[in-house]
Amino acid sequence: MIVLQALAVIFGVFMMYVVRIHRRKRNLEPFEYGGWLAVWIIFLFLTLFPQTVQGVAQTLQIGSALDFLLILAMMILSFLTLQNRLDNRKIEKKIEDIVREKAINEKTPAHRRHSKL
Amino acid sequence: MPNSTRKKIAIVIPGYNEAKYISKVLSKVKHKAVYIVYVDDGSRDKSAQIARRFTSHILIHKTNLGKGAALKTGCDYAFDQLKAHSVIFMDADDQHDAEEIPRFTRALETYDVVFGERRMGTSMPLLRFIGNKFASILLNFFFGVYIPDIPCGFKAIKKRVYPLLRWNSNGYEVETEIAVRVAKQGIEFGLVDIESIYRDTDKGMTFLDALHISRCIATWKIAL
Repeated sequence: MIVLQALAVIFGVFMMYVVRIHRRKRNLEPFEYGGWLAVWIIFLFLTLFPQTVQGVAQTLQIGSALDFLLILAMMILSFLTLQNRLDNRKIEKKIEDIVREKAINEKTPAHRRHSKL
Repeated sequence: MPNSTRKKIAIVIPGYNEAKYISKVLSKVKHKAVYIVYVDDGSRDKSAQIARRFTSHILIHKTNLGKGAALKTGCDYAFDQLKAHSVIFMDADDQHDAEEIPRFTRALETYDVVFGERRMGTSMPLLRFIGNKFASILLNFFFGVYIPDIPCGFKAIKKRVYPLLRWNSNGYEVETEIAVRVAKQGIEFGLVDIESIYRDTDKGMTFLDALHISRCIATWKIAL
């Protein structure tokens, strides 16, 4: 357990560092930065004090606090994966539409342009 | 087919880095239809400049989107701007014989969609042949329609069915999506047997593409 906790702490601290780097590169807005920092602080806290959620785990009839945290993490990851996929698709569609419109408009004189099918 | 209708046919050729073959392809097709539309899908070579010598209908994607996206750009342009009545798709790598175009135009008199079917000949690699048949059997299993050569890029569609077929796929899976949409919409289709010519074995579908297409067929059964 101690080894696993140590690894999780190292990972959590590393992720806080990654978040910090992205904030410095202006890839994250202050609000997002705060949000992600909070996520990793909570992660570190729960790693060091898993007994904090023992009560919730027992209420949900889950064996141990660690199992509960794993299930929670899986749920969050699944949600984020879906969200990323949807966002990616949206961006791909926008790029496709822009590239197509540009290709057709550059070919077609302005007076002959019509709306798409 | 009346001459006025024949004039309304556009040949749409999507291409990506096809400088090696494009002049040969376009020189063969240039007198086969009034409109020859070449869609350059973000090529890094001189395909588009070469194509300009043969047709004025060159559409250039600034970035590579894939065959499906290029075909859609070509169709949008042909139907919407050129007011074409039908389009015939051909590959840009000289896999198709332009002499067979009149057979597609004749078939369009009867059918809304016409699929090319490569004859089982000497030039189609055995693995490709097996892959093609597997796709046809899979389509038949899921949709109850047998289309013998789904990945064949030589096909024709009429404008009136284009809104029903307008695909979402950007890549090679577009051929399968068109077949699936034809099957799901119950559109009557014709077949034209064509010569099977393989110029460049490094291109085309890979095994991973085939797996991806199988997954797509299963998904489209529910989602399309």
